[in-house]
Amino acid sequence: MSTSRKILVVDDDPVVGKSFDRVLSGKGYAVITAQNGEEALHKLANENYDAVFTDIKMPGMSGIEVAQKIKAAKPWLPVVIVTGYSTDAYRAAAEAAGVSGFLQKPLSPEMIAGSAEKAMHEADATPAPAATMPQLAEAADVTAAGDAQPASRAKNIALFLAAPFIGLVYVMAMPFVAAGMLAWFAAKALAAKVPADVKKFAMLIGGPLLGLGFILALPLVGIGALGYYAVKSARKE
Amino acid sequence: MHKLFVHPLPVRVWHWINALGFVVMIATGIQIRYIGLIDLVSFKPAVEVHNAVGFVLIANFFGWFLFYLFSDKIRVYLPELSPAKHFAASFRQLKFYGYGIFKGQPNPHHVSVYHKFNALQSMTYQIVMLLLVPIQCFTGVLLWDVERFQSAITLAGGLRVVDTVHVLVFIFFAGFIFIHPYLASLGHTWSAHFKAMITGYEEVEDE
Repeated sequence: MSTSRKILVVDDDPVVGKSFDRVLSGKGYAVITAQNGEEALHKLANENYDAVFTDIKMPGMSGIEVAQKIKAAKPWLPVVIVTGYSTDAYRAAAEAAGVSGFLQKPLSPEMIAGSAEKAMHEADATPAPAATMPQLAEAADVTAAGDAQPASRAKNIALFLAAPFIGLVYVMAMPFVAAGMLAWFAAKALAAKVPADVKKFAMLIGGPLLGLGFILALPLVGIGALGYYAVKSARKE
Repeated sequence: MHKLFVHPLPVRVWHWINALGFVVMIATGIQIRYIGLIDLVSFKPAVEVHNAVGFVLIANFFGWFLFYLFSDKIRVYLPELSPAKHFAASFRQLKFYGYGIFKGQPNPHHVSVYHKFNALQSMTYQIVMLLLVPIQCFTGVLLWDVERFQSAITLAGGLRVVDTVHVLVFIFFAGFIFIHPYLASLGHTWSAHFKAMITGYEEVEDE
């Protein structure tokens, strides 16, 4: 078995991912976990996997939806449903989406190993064509927006209205950040060239200035920290 | 290369009305502000056209605002809250515009449905659409009927202040109207983004 076989396990229960890892890592598989459908789609959009094992009931997107989206974007990728409560309706929906199989919880090491091997055979039989990641990224994008809760909608509106002011702060900060970056790169370039005694002299001058900078920044950092904790405690209440 | 539906119909309608309206507003604005320097039309018709198109653009702005406010596309205009990420992406984009583009390097920004703007565009459009356009609309309405809005004008600092703000934003928009088509021509072909703003579909390179 090649060490390059990658399996994505999607389950909000981390124990499931750990079980897969315990059984499969010794057999040459790399097990990567995702705690929800959205995270899984993002991972699939950015990396290639050889098979996906997904739970059905998860916060946000269900495993069936995850399977449908994966199959729509990467029809060759084996998707196995792992579930503790498989109804006929779930089975019908999953089969319609084109999943490769079902694993009924509780899982035994034999079940995990056997299912992974079966999925690998299927993956080998149907190789992936190139250039499909953007489609999956879009699917993940669209899903994330579609699943927006009312709280996140309110947050989005607040951010939308705050956006120009944040933009203004960025615009005003930009020259300073650029100057800072230039100074940093210049200092790095100089540090590589200047002799040790010049460095010592620079430290002698720069040290106190740096200290002064810290002293001046301290009240601002303190006020910022106070504000942060005040907002945090207000949110908790 | 695959197609991605990035610009919904309301955004495209808003965009082209806005584009046409801005040209008319800038032309008539120059005529009104610099009378004697330019004499394309006489003063009164220039003012009348400026006022009428101004109200069309205000209505158009509210259409845009409500569309984004009540649709999931609002995410397009959300700010990046991590300064480190924002500045890293901004400088990457600046490097591309200043150097990479002339060397045929790929654009570091990859368009997706909810990330159609790069870091620089995102920051600029947030300021333009949610700050400068409302300011311009507001000061424009005050200047449209100075007598009726006398108290608001006084509250804003007087007629000179309101007029100066309106003219400064106008100068910014006049510059923007030149830069915007230039940047829009920097797609994989010069007309790619123009076509996208008509059809709604951006052509995105496969990764």
